Amino acid sequence: MARAFRRKGELYAARLDPQELGLVVGLLEQTRELLAPEVAATGDAFTDLIASLGPDFGRSSDAPDVAVARDPALDRLLPDAHRSDPAIAAEFRRLTEHDLRRRKSDTITAAIDALRQVEGDKVRLTKADADSLLVALTDTRLLIGERLGLRDESDVDALDERISAHPEHPLAFAAAVYDFLTWLQDSLAGALMGRRLFDL
Amino acid sequence: MSIAPVQERQADAADVADPAVPWITLVWNDPVNLMSYVTYVFQTYFNYPRAKAEKLMMDVHTLGKAVVAHGTREEMERDAMAMQGYGLWATFEKDS
Repeated sequence: MARAFRRKGELYAARLDPQELGLVVGLLEQTRELLAPEVAATGDAFTDLIASLGPDFGRSSDAPDVAVARDPALDRLLPDAHRSDPAIAAEFRRLTEHDLRRRKSDTITAAIDALRQVEGDKVRLTKADADSLLVALTDTRLLIGERLGLRDESDVDALDERISAHPEHPLAFAAAVYDFLTWLQDSLAGALMGRRLFDL
Repeated sequence: MSIAPVQERQADAADVADPAVPWITLVWNDPVNLMSYVTYVFQTYFNYPRAKAEKLMMDVHTLGKAVVAHGTREEMERDAMAMQGYGLWATFEKDS
């Protein structure tokens, strides 16, 4: 049975049974799979330098996008950074997306590695690992939230209504998982901010 | 591109009313990000005091968006990128 994060000396402690831990790690892995840049690091400095320039490097920003199937969740995780000027938004994306995706997947990897060290149900994270998990849980919740159709506040109420009308629907399980991650992340944010619960 | 260390951010907070640097970074409300998390991000990245971070978070939550930083275009691109790195719905634009 899970117990929320709290600060314990220099560490951030929670309890997650092996099933809960496996669920969290599995979801983090799925999120990383979506986010990881198409070109993975090889360890070879020159190859990685070229790769880091991004697949769109050298393509002018006004060139039409190559028609590849892009998961709509990526647009939620990496939204347009300019709302009224598509050219500025496209240029920003061209310059930052590869780097952001690598940074996000590295953060998720750090969180997964920390959770894989857990023996039994006692999670004990350093500040650095707690920060990585906190950010990794955000991207994971954004991904699940997108799959659940949560685009604005009214979608949350609509989802609640659908689930209470059809509690056996697979959507109800996904929503329960989402709520679990929300609870876990909120407790971790609270612990990092020096209080157990954040209430306004 | 990389994120400036937190220490460098303190000077930027003072630029807030400088008309010579008329670009802004906005964070928009979304139903996923937690109030606690958003506050933590504003405190951690911008080095804003708790009260200011909470005020900005509440503006995002209740007004739908908040201007979280002012500066040059380059600085605002960096801040928007950092906010997106944290999973916040961030944009930048010329201040009007």
